[in-house]
Amino acid sequence: MDLLIWPDWPLALGALFPVAIALVLTALIGEAGGRFDLPRVSGYALAGLVLGPLALGWFDTNDLAGNRLVIDFTIALVLFELGIRLDLRWLAANRWVVATSAGEMALTFALTFGALWAAGTGTGIALAVAAIAVGTSPVILMHVTNELRASGQTTDRLLALCALNVAVSVILLKLLVGALHGVHSGWQLALLHPLYLLLGSALAGAVIAAAYLGLRRLVDPATEQGLVAMIALLLAAIALLSALRLPTALAPLFAGALVKWRDRRPHLWPQQFGSFGGVLVIVAFMLAGAAVTAGELLAGAGVGLLAILARAAGKLGGAIAFGPPSGLDLRKSLALGVGLMPLSMLALLQAEDVRLLYPEFGSRLLPIVIAMTVVLGLLGPIATRRALIRVRETRRGEMS
Amino acid sequence: MSLENFASSRALSLGVELELQLVSTHDYDLVSSAEDLLRAMANKDVPGEVKPEMTCSMIEVSTGICSDYACVAEELEALRAALTDAARKLNIGICGGGTHAFQDWSERRIFDKPRFHYLSDLYGYLAKQFTVFGQHVHIGCPGPDAALYLLHGMSRYIPHLIALSASSPYVQGKDTGFQSARLNSVFAFPLSGRAPFVETWQDFEAYFRKMSDTGVVQSMKDFYWDIRPKPEYGTIEVRVMDTPLTVGRAAAIAAYIQSIARYLMIERPIRLAEDDYLVYTFNRFQACRFGFAGTYVHPETHEHRSVAEEIEASFARIEQHAIELGCDGALGELLRQVREGRNDAAWLRERHTGGESLPELVMAQCARWMGGEAM
Repeated sequence: MDLLIWPDWPLALGALFPVAIALVLTALIGEAGGRFDLPRVSGYALAGLVLGPLALGWFDTNDLAGNRLVIDFTIALVLFELGIRLDLRWLAANRWVVATSAGEMALTFALTFGALWAAGTGTGIALAVAAIAVGTSPVILMHVTNELRASGQTTDRLLALCALNVAVSVILLKLLVGALHGVHSGWQLALLHPLYLLLGSALAGAVIAAAYLGLRRLVDPATEQGLVAMIALLLAAIALLSALRLPTALAPLFAGALVKWRDRRPHLWPQQFGSFGGVLVIVAFMLAGAAVTAGELLAGAGVGLLAILARAAGKLGGAIAFGPPSGLDLRKSLALGVGLMPLSMLALLQAEDVRLLYPEFGSRLLPIVIAMTVVLGLLGPIATRRALIRVRETRRGEMS
Repeated sequence: MSLENFASSRALSLGVELELQLVSTHDYDLVSSAEDLLRAMANKDVPGEVKPEMTCSMIEVSTGICSDYACVAEELEALRAALTDAARKLNIGICGGGTHAFQDWSERRIFDKPRFHYLSDLYGYLAKQFTVFGQHVHIGCPGPDAALYLLHGMSRYIPHLIALSASSPYVQGKDTGFQSARLNSVFAFPLSGRAPFVETWQDFEAYFRKMSDTGVVQSMKDFYWDIRPKPEYGTIEVRVMDTPLTVGRAAAIAAYIQSIARYLMIERPIRLAEDDYLVYTFNRFQACRFGFAGTYVHPETHEHRSVAEEIEASFARIEQHAIELGCDGALGELLRQVREGRNDAAWLRERHTGGESLPELVMAQCARWMGGEAM
């Protein structure tokens, strides 16, 4: 009798089974959050933390590194979609929106840096945390606004500012960290590297945009073939960007904005693209929790909380100061500031990338960023959701 | 509450109101931005008025009191330019059209104002279903009895006005087969339809008193008639038109109404009779459903002809009055389109059946309205 046809006992389920269970748990916790009127992403983030080293330990940092592509791809997809919502014509027509963004970012950077520097973290860490604090989680903002089918002045500005925050935060961190570690020895390099990051990403974005528009002419994005073509395009883009040592986040964002600029037609995501993206978001959050260990969380908690407070003051202050001249009333300006709170995966990856390049500096930076993203990944979505409901910009859920 | 006195107004003076759609430039669905747009318009120096409407995705603009077509065209154009400027800053689109092609009525929000909340409580989902967009034209009347004569005389031209302005073939994402489906939403209201057949203001007051005693109505605002007297302005208000896709067409339609009014007031060509209304709802339905191709039954001769033929005949009757009022040029353009069978509903259908998606269609509507295209 051939023993190979009968199962072993106990069953050898391999690695796939726990992943399946974890995925279901993540989805269910998100759904449970939805029942309690909480944003589903908060539930996903919570599930990620529970499954990670913090509680159950089903995933660890190795899983994060091994599945980095999934998270990068999710973020690229979301940023491409976010880019399409960033109408550059609008920014040109209403300069106060740009001013709001610049003001809010400058204030956030200054306050966060000041607070951390005063607390004695050292200039380097203070600068790096401040650069990350400028950002806002695109994945959370897109998920929460989609969940509520939000639309209106606050929503438009939230998404526009989020896109600009991401772009500036990514570039700023690269530059600052590079400068701090003497990568830019000599002024030529100090000038060339930022130029390369910006122009390279812009150029790559233009190529992606052209490819997208070309593909759109060949296949309807609303069909299965179209979906596959779009996924392939973004995968190819990530491969190319990594090879060029360009941040994978920037180019898709630029590409989206260029697509909207070139072709004003409504670019609506096909239904399946939405559900595909939804699955990816769940997987990404499930994995992101793997970065959070209790030790690091505790180590970074104090400074992290300080950074959160400073960042909140900066974002709120900027939105309230510049919102009204851009056409918002005070209530909506406040909602804009509150809505910008979420900080999550992208920030974590930014810090993680720093650690890969500069282990010593990164291991001091990472705990602070972990503490920030744990709090702002869980509570941030709730803040955004409450803010949008408060200014009555939701088309699903609470209505009057 | 009793009916106020009929104010005096200059005969044939003209005022136009347009209800407009506010849409997102991302998905071209309706967007709740009325409050923001009104705030942006508050410190602009424009003629007329910009006001909120029942739901947060619509606004109403109105001209001041004008004496002729040129004035209406100029004021609507100024309003359009100012609104377009404000809308660009807010990243929203503004467009004409009697309905939004694919909005979901259940997603609408009631504008935060006591009267709108009262209406929403009273009518329930009808209030949100009432996210439809019309053009209203006021005509000044020398006195209340003349107003009633004008009202009943103008009733014969309701099909003409529906066919000329029709711009609502799509509702909730589907082709309704109608040219003006908007009016079907209006008919759902209990006090819609036509005014009672009374020829003197005294009789009208008696009618209003009786209705008021039943507790059904409190003011003239509670009537959703196709044409209603507006005593505080001293006008009659024609309310059957869809908001056209351009302000140019809206101005031309207002000029057509003014010319008919002048013809009716000066020539007094009709002997009014209650039986005129026997064919009223049939004619109105035909115009809503088929536009120019609909059947028009003459209220006196009972002759059947197409709405287009009947409109052409009406242009011949009012030509001299249009010349006197200085709007023969605009009416000539309108007539040319009638002969070609072209109206806004035809334009919309042509594009959608040509392969344009409904969101793209709304985008094209915005480009037409905001770009200030000719009719």
